[in-house]
Amino acid sequence: MNMTRAWSLVTSLCLILLLAGLLLKNGILLAVVLPYLLFSLIPFWRRTEEPHLIIERRLEPQYLWGGQPCRMTLSIQNVGNDLEEISLADVLPAGLRVEGDLTYHGMLQAGQTEKLLSTGRGVRGKYEFSGVKVSTNDLLGMYRHEKFVPSVGTLAVLPAMERLERLKISPRRTRVYAGVIRSRESGAGVEFFGTRAYVPGDPLRHLNWKAGARWDLLITNLFEQERVADIGIILDARSVVEVTADGESLFEHSVRAAASLAEHFLREGNRVGLLIYGTMIEWTFPGYGKQQRVRILAALAKAELGEHAVFKELEHLPTRLFPSESQIVLVSPLLRGDVPMLRYLHALGYRALVISPDPIAFEKRSLPQDECAALAEGIARMERNATLSKLRRASVNVVEWDVTTPLRIPMKQAMVGVKRWSVG
Amino acid sequence: MVRWVKRLAAVGNGILIFALFYHGHTRVAIIGGLLNLAWAVDEWFPSDIRRFLRPWALVINTAFLAYGALNGRPSMLALFLAGNSLLAWNAGLFVERWSDAPLTIQYQYLRRVGTLTVLGLLAGVSAVTSQGNFALFFLPVLFLMLVAGFLWLRLISRTLKEDPG
Repeated sequence: MNMTRAWSLVTSLCLILLLAGLLLKNGILLAVVLPYLLFSLIPFWRRTEEPHLIIERRLEPQYLWGGQPCRMTLSIQNVGNDLEEISLADVLPAGLRVEGDLTYHGMLQAGQTEKLLSTGRGVRGKYEFSGVKVSTNDLLGMYRHEKFVPSVGTLAVLPAMERLERLKISPRRTRVYAGVIRSRESGAGVEFFGTRAYVPGDPLRHLNWKAGARWDLLITNLFEQERVADIGIILDARSVVEVTADGESLFEHSVRAAASLAEHFLREGNRVGLLIYGTMIEWTFPGYGKQQRVRILAALAKAELGEHAVFKELEHLPTRLFPSESQIVLVSPLLRGDVPMLRYLHALGYRALVISPDPIAFEKRSLPQDECAALAEGIARMERNATLSKLRRASVNVVEWDVTTPLRIPMKQAMVGVKRWSVG
Repeated sequence: MVRWVKRLAAVGNGILIFALFYHGHTRVAIIGGLLNLAWAVDEWFPSDIRRFLRPWALVINTAFLAYGALNGRPSMLALFLAGNSLLAWNAGLFVERWSDAPLTIQYQYLRRVGTLTVLGLLAGVSAVTSQGNFALFFLPVLFLMLVAGFLWLRLISRTLKEDPG
């Protein structure tokens, strides 16, 4: 129980009058003290019990897209004695925009239930609700009882996504289930894979008559099996690669790209995992289907930039998390020092695809259009081109993405004339 | 309803101060009366001024009644001024905190604050009427002064510690 400022004021006046009356030996002053004294003694006379409340929070839906509203209901039930005056204030997570009832002030009788309804909106992120601040006081406002009642809840605003067209990837190893990724093995499929001599049992409609006439043999066409694959998406969340321009963050575009890729690969039936490489390693174990989509989007919703000495370079990338010879997709603006690790990944047998949001084009928008900026851009562009060339020479597929354009456009351009992104 | 009780109590304070100081201290009477009239209609002022005015009105009224008591003014008026000031101050506090309180709560509040004020006034009146029978000796007076001073210092230090702003 805490005394209020009002109590402090009236008690101070009481004690001052008492001191003055005693000092000056004035009986009237001592008599006048008595009304003040009664007000001061109220908290010791009437004590309030601790409030016993059950507070439940409901968020509908718990996962939402940016701009979509979430209906938040806070239900407060008094399971203790009558409370003459109670104030409740919901403690909101930072960054969430909420409209509606967030506070309650009034009486709460035993068994009474009150509901606070509000609507929340936010930008990409994970919003954790901790609880409600409860304050009860007497009607005279002389004392107060404050308490924090936990009422947890999590609201995730998922990253925006865009629909990508079919990507031709070719990891060295695929899984056994049928999918859309070429498996480098002959079998049931639609893409031509090769020819061999006919053996009884081969379907006659696969006979290659032209080759048979040429070699005077029965030759049958082989087709490449299409299967699902293991795909690991790595989101680079190191602070060193972050660029901001006009209050906009390049990292948000990286998150959007990672979400779009995850959505695309999962829709095609692949097994997809996500690694967020920043302050620490946040690993979403590979999985299939809609539930995995929700897991990955939830992980991306709370993805934040981080700074850690260990993860300053890509060299501590935990490659063992990814199945051997699988496809790795790195979403990163890239640094010059990242090249050796990507070469190493390739040497280990992984197929690497790098989606690189262009930090130079992104930052250029906010810079003045003068000679110095043009010179700086030229130097930075040369350095970046050199880095990307090194990667391409190391058989790493790189898609350079100006974030002002939809991701599907540079992805499509990068595939023009390329039968398969990875070579041998 | 509580709002009107507060207004009436504040107007009553003005009248009591006027009556207390009209003979001899006309300026004090006018200033005190005007201050309390302003307090009676403080809802019309901005909230910052209102919040500032409320505690200071109580402090100033207390100073007035102490001054009156020391200058041999009618003790009953001083006592009623104390009770009335506390009533107006606390009712203002309630209205500020809970302006749309249900009628049952307002009745409950008025019953409680009314009981307290009446009890205080009765105790004060009893003390004033029987003060001639008290003989205060030095040692009990010193003891009471020390206790009062200690409690006050403790109160001030705790208040500052809990709420430095």
